[in-house]
Amino acid sequence: MLQYLVILLAEDSVSFCHYENRNTGNLLSINALKESLRISMLENLSVQYVFPEGELPAEYLAAIEVVENVKIMPSNSPYAEKANVLVFNGFFNLKSAKSGIPYVVRCGKDEFFTNYEKLIPLLEVTPHLSVVFKDLVKFNENDFAQYKTVLETFSKHVEELYVDGKSPQFNLLTDRMYLDKMRNCEAGVKTITLAPDGNFYICPAFYYNGEMPCGNPNDGLDIKNPQLYKLEYAPICRRCDAFHCRRCVWLNKLTTLEVNTPSHEQCVVSHIERNAAKSLLAAIRKHGEFMPQLPEIAEIDYLDPFDKIEK
Amino acid sequence: MNIKERAEAWRSGVSKNITFIVTKDCQLACKYCYLVGKNINERMSFDTAKKAIDYILSREDEFKEESVVWDFIGGEPFLEIDLIDKVCDYIKMETYRLNHHWFNSYRFSFSTNGINYHEKKVQDFIKKNHDHLSIGITIDGTELKHDLNRVYKNSGKGSYKEVVKNIPLWIKQFPFAGTKVTISSADIPYIKESVLHLYSLGIKEVNINVVFEDVWKDGDDKLFENQLIELADAIIDGGYYKDYACSFYSEHIGKPMDIKLENQNWCGAGKMLSVDAAGNFYPCTRFAQYSLRSKKAVIIGNIHDGIDKNKLRPFLTLDRLTQSPQKCLDCEVASGCAWCQGENYDAAETPTIYQRATAICLMHKARVRANNYYWNKLFRKLELEGEREEYEKSKHDGPLKIC
Amino acid sequence: MAKKLVGKVTPEEKNEIQTLFERKNGLSELAKILTADNAELYEKLVKDIGETGTKFQAWWDRMSAKYAWESSENGHWEINFDTNEIFLND
Repeated sequence: MLQYLVILLAEDSVSFCHYENRNTGNLLSINALKESLRISMLENLSVQYVFPEGELPAEYLAAIEVVENVKIMPSNSPYAEKANVLVFNGFFNLKSAKSGIPYVVRCGKDEFFTNYEKLIPLLEVTPHLSVVFKDLVKFNENDFAQYKTVLETFSKHVEELYVDGKSPQFNLLTDRMYLDKMRNCEAGVKTITLAPDGNFYICPAFYYNGEMPCGNPNDGLDIKNPQLYKLEYAPICRRCDAFHCRRCVWLNKLTTLEVNTPSHEQCVVSHIERNAAKSLLAAIRKHGEFMPQLPEIAEIDYLDPFDKIEK
Repeated sequence: MNIKERAEAWRSGVSKNITFIVTKDCQLACKYCYLVGKNINERMSFDTAKKAIDYILSREDEFKEESVVWDFIGGEPFLEIDLIDKVCDYIKMETYRLNHHWFNSYRFSFSTNGINYHEKKVQDFIKKNHDHLSIGITIDGTELKHDLNRVYKNSGKGSYKEVVKNIPLWIKQFPFAGTKVTISSADIPYIKESVLHLYSLGIKEVNINVVFEDVWKDGDDKLFENQLIELADAIIDGGYYKDYACSFYSEHIGKPMDIKLENQNWCGAGKMLSVDAAGNFYPCTRFAQYSLRSKKAVIIGNIHDGIDKNKLRPFLTLDRLTQSPQKCLDCEVASGCAWCQGENYDAAETPTIYQRATAICLMHKARVRANNYYWNKLFRKLELEGEREEYEKSKHDGPLKIC
Repeated sequence: MAKKLVGKVTPEEKNEIQTLFERKNGLSELAKILTADNAELYEKLVKDIGETGTKFQAWWDRMSAKYAWESSENGHWEINFDTNEIFLND
């Protein structure tokens, strides 16, 4: 059931995920904005605004406040003090950011391998840190090995913080520890996006990459083959226990041509994280009781669940 | 006592099917042909075929199937007999030179309209490769039925006469070969006479199916059922069942299917590999652009860059449950109801292979009813003649291989 | 020509003779296109044809000894690759 409406206020609304935005600066029309907010109230949808870098006209700033909302902003937004989620493009200005809210750091894999230590201090500043790879589909065998090593190193710092009685939250390491079932992006199932062209899309990436819209605020939502966005209709994912995986339906479509089928790279990256979470959980528990209601993460002999499916 | 059943495809389940789309040209313009983009320009070069073969043979660890069927299709493949001859020679030489395990287990397969089957170049090729050939000539039945659809592209004239004259030669060379018959809406009234006609030509195996496309009209299912019942009467009363097979009738269709235990995909798309004149790879020929009415081709790689394995993942993990609507899962007569992944993709609301087309639903149900009639009648006859038990014992006999 | 069922081999034994049968056919069709110009491959082929023929015959000798199939002076045995059954053809 649909729960969230993501509203891209402008063409250059900050990307908070794997996709790239466009820098044209065109705004969502004020009428489309107002109509979509009316729908959000009728359908009980929680609204998440995605802000561009620049300023917004006053009527927009007024209009967006008619509903309770979450504001996702670029770290250099003029309204950053009002943000509920801050998005960093790379590793710049990390220290000067507003504390106490979730951070998203968008970066390339190589950038992450080089700079990951800069993220460690953030774990005590933000309640949740997310790293999102802009080039996840480009991971190769060498990258997988390096990623595993980096997460192992990072994990030691996280472990120390837990031992100190803190509970840092980091999507690549700790999200999986707290889950006993899938919790993915769920674009097209729980979340839908209103794009600056006034149409609904499965997610912002579908808009920016020229996919067909799935309705508009006037005619309503019309998702074709909606079942394919659900976990039960994803033959690889429904067998998988990398519960934290973003399961990005756009990356799926980009790499395998099907929204319900993840790429090899997506699966392996998520399993490296899963295995790192398993080790971290075991390490934390060596220091004393920790979340005893959570089951151990099982030992498995694969990194890509595709390999375990009989063909 | 024997009832002839449709033969299993050679090394079915353990062979890799690799298809060369050698040309998109054909002498005919069959009215039901799913190849909407046929043309005279896209002819495969030897260099392209060679690169495809080199790519495949150099990856023995990725192509592990025990056997291989090298399939040549068109258009009309025998229009490119010179190329095919050269390609087959290259395959034989290379598999031998490389000590490739497929040298010990291969076939060259052709589906032809039969028009130039008698020509010297084709016959020379057949003589040279006879023990490794599987050739099917498509003939739709009586002259009337055949010419209803299988017409020359330039004149619109029926092709029956040119095809039928080659049937005796074909049967002499390949006594176990079968023909493939395709049924569209307009063909239904001719099914019975067509199958019997093919039997009379000496063709012992008639593989027949209705098109998967949404072409059916109200009442077609009833007409279809009646034709199959009349055909069943003729086959049983005439005793044809002993030596002739018609794929419409099978003991194994028309049963409910278990959701957990019978969840396999029907179609082999993705396990096959198809390559066209441009050197692009497809999961099956039906995903090449010339086969698609309304969707973009699904290209999974090319001879230069290789296969993008990510694009094969949806095909290799596809199962019955995930792609079928609820009515198919609940269906009491589901077994034997086929689908074509390419047609599913072409007919789907979004570009997905995960939406099963169900245009043949009523036709399948009609087939099941007629099939029930066939087996009830046949088994009763066998019982009355005291042959049922013998049949049950002998029904798994296959063709002999003489060593 | 009369055909009589005289025995059956195991699936493994069937696989062995089927592979040899296929290889024999493959070699004989390869021989039609391979000339002595390609010295290395030609030499390999000639040797291979001999060896495969020997292995082929050895299989029948070994199996007939193992199973003691019925035989006749002018008859020959055949195998059905689908059922693994051995027939005597007179």
